Amino acid sequence: MAPLLQIQLQAVVDGLMLGATYSLLGLGFTLIFGVFRRLNLAFGPTILVGIYAGSLWYRAQPGSLLLVVAITLLGTLLAGIYVERCSFRALARQAPVVSMISTFAVSMQLQELVTLLPVGRTMPYPAPAWLPGVEVGDVMLRPDGLFMWAGATLLMAALFLLLYRTRLGTTLRAVADSPEAATLMGVDVARIGVIAFVLASLVGGAAGILIMSSQQQVTPYFGLWATVKGLTVMLLGGAGSLSGAVAGGIVLGVVESEALWSFGGQWRDLAAYALLFAAAAASRGRVTGEPE
Amino acid sequence: MSDYTLSLLVRIGIESFVALSAYVLLLMGRISFGQQGFFVIGGYAAGMATALFGAPLPLGLAVGVAAAAVAGCIFATCMRRARGLYFAAGSLAFAELIRVALLAFHYRVPVGRDLVGPAGADGFRGIRALFTGGASVGGYVIGIYVTLGLTLLLITLALRSRWGEALRMIGEDEIAAATTGIPLTHVKTAVVTVASGLAGLGGGLFAHFATYLEPGHADVMLGVHSLAYGLIGGLGTPLGSVLGAALDIGGLESFRFLSGFRMIIFGGLVVLFLIVRPRGLLDEVTIQRLRAAVRRRRRESRA
Repeated sequence: MAPLLQIQLQAVVDGLMLGATYSLLGLGFTLIFGVFRRLNLAFGPTILVGIYAGSLWYRAQPGSLLLVVAITLLGTLLAGIYVERCSFRALARQAPVVSMISTFAVSMQLQELVTLLPVGRTMPYPAPAWLPGVEVGDVMLRPDGLFMWAGATLLMAALFLLLYRTRLGTTLRAVADSPEAATLMGVDVARIGVIAFVLASLVGGAAGILIMSSQQQVTPYFGLWATVKGLTVMLLGGAGSLSGAVAGGIVLGVVESEALWSFGGQWRDLAAYALLFAAAAASRGRVTGEPE
Repeated sequence: MSDYTLSLLVRIGIESFVALSAYVLLLMGRISFGQQGFFVIGGYAAGMATALFGAPLPLGLAVGVAAAAVAGCIFATCMRRARGLYFAAGSLAFAELIRVALLAFHYRVPVGRDLVGPAGADGFRGIRALFTGGASVGGYVIGIYVTLGLTLLLITLALRSRWGEALRMIGEDEIAAATTGIPLTHVKTAVVTVASGLAGLGGGLFAHFATYLEPGHADVMLGVHSLAYGLIGGLGTPLGSVLGAALDIGGLESFRFLSGFRMIIFGGLVVLFLIVRPRGLLDEVTIQRLRAAVRRRRRESRA
């Protein structure tokens, strides 16, 4: 195979695997935005708290990987509920921008919280070293990449089943569609809000685990990074659309990977921001369901 | 006053300009995460004008404002249809693109014995026009606050004019504003341009105080903080943004003794504050009450 074509193919494959975790981040972000129509800047930092908790446990007890996963999810969940109480429930009747600034204050808290842990600034995270790499033709499928892709795809399938095939999922989508109409149908909107946060935290935490199993170290910068990725993916997919978020994540992953392979590391973020800028400039009119 | 107090005052004054630029956009219903981009554009342009081309300080600051305003005008043109979240995300992306572009921006010319100018990630050193001009730090602080006072006055007057009325109408309901004959695109472009110029003025003032700028100064934290300043100080008056900057920066500094727990305590205070006063200290109701009180006082003194 021609080397250039091979590199391009490798870039796309890497991008697809990376993009699957971006889709997960975007889905978590969309779940909260869809139900509340408010921006949660603390979305990434809540995942950060979970990852640090899991990593701390991994240091103490390297044997039990399942427990690391459980503790990561639990940490994310607790931090997520904290955000819901402080910035969403308590401010439900205020303008959306007030919630957003409040989540920013919370995210500063969470980011400082993890730096207080007695473990230095970078943390190790377990990786699926037992998985073999697969070579298809000239394209290398890295084991951590495959793990990311498979895990994210399975989780997305489960989430879509939950959202489109169960009563709870229907209720959640009804609230996202119109909180007023859902209230008239007897739905407890505040309860659905909590459930949206629980789901988003679990999805976000899982995305964090998958990303960490590939990167294997975490710094406090992960928090803001994850928020920006989630926001970008959600907006690429049309702000509020679930299938859009899946597509947005894949597009972002492939574009970043292409930029990385073709031009080098510095271009990866540049490409991501250029994509976000283009999506914003091309957007027409109002975001679905956003009150004007 | 000690150097520490002075530098704190400078920070509050300078970030107030960025906060005001975010405040003006917020009144128009636009959340911006990207005012830090215009801040560094203003800083780089002003610094290059004085340090590389020998412009006097006021002219350099004017160049900074103009450069930021031009960038703002381009940005507004790209974003003329974007609303809500898309405008916010577009501004964030714009500022980050500026930051990444500055990482690759090299333009160094020999000035005297040194090479001076932006040098990519190493930043832009040697913006010395303020101190070679013989100004003292104290004088500069006074200069900043006089400029800030004039800016506040101008914004207050502008908000009372027909333009200010149009801006608030767009913020309330864009479609209704359009039906009353407000030229939406023109007003929006003009407002974003002016707001960017304001942030650029802050950048120019900062560059000459610090004598140094780097791409990292376009950190998204500055943009989000300047949004928060307006919200904490109160959206009822432009003065709220300055008050918010003073409260936030001053409060954070006075919590230094908490060291590692500083952000946790301070962040918690901000969260509580927003629950108690969701529209800030000087919100619209407070401002109306103050005005009514002043009017009553006047009437009584006349009687």
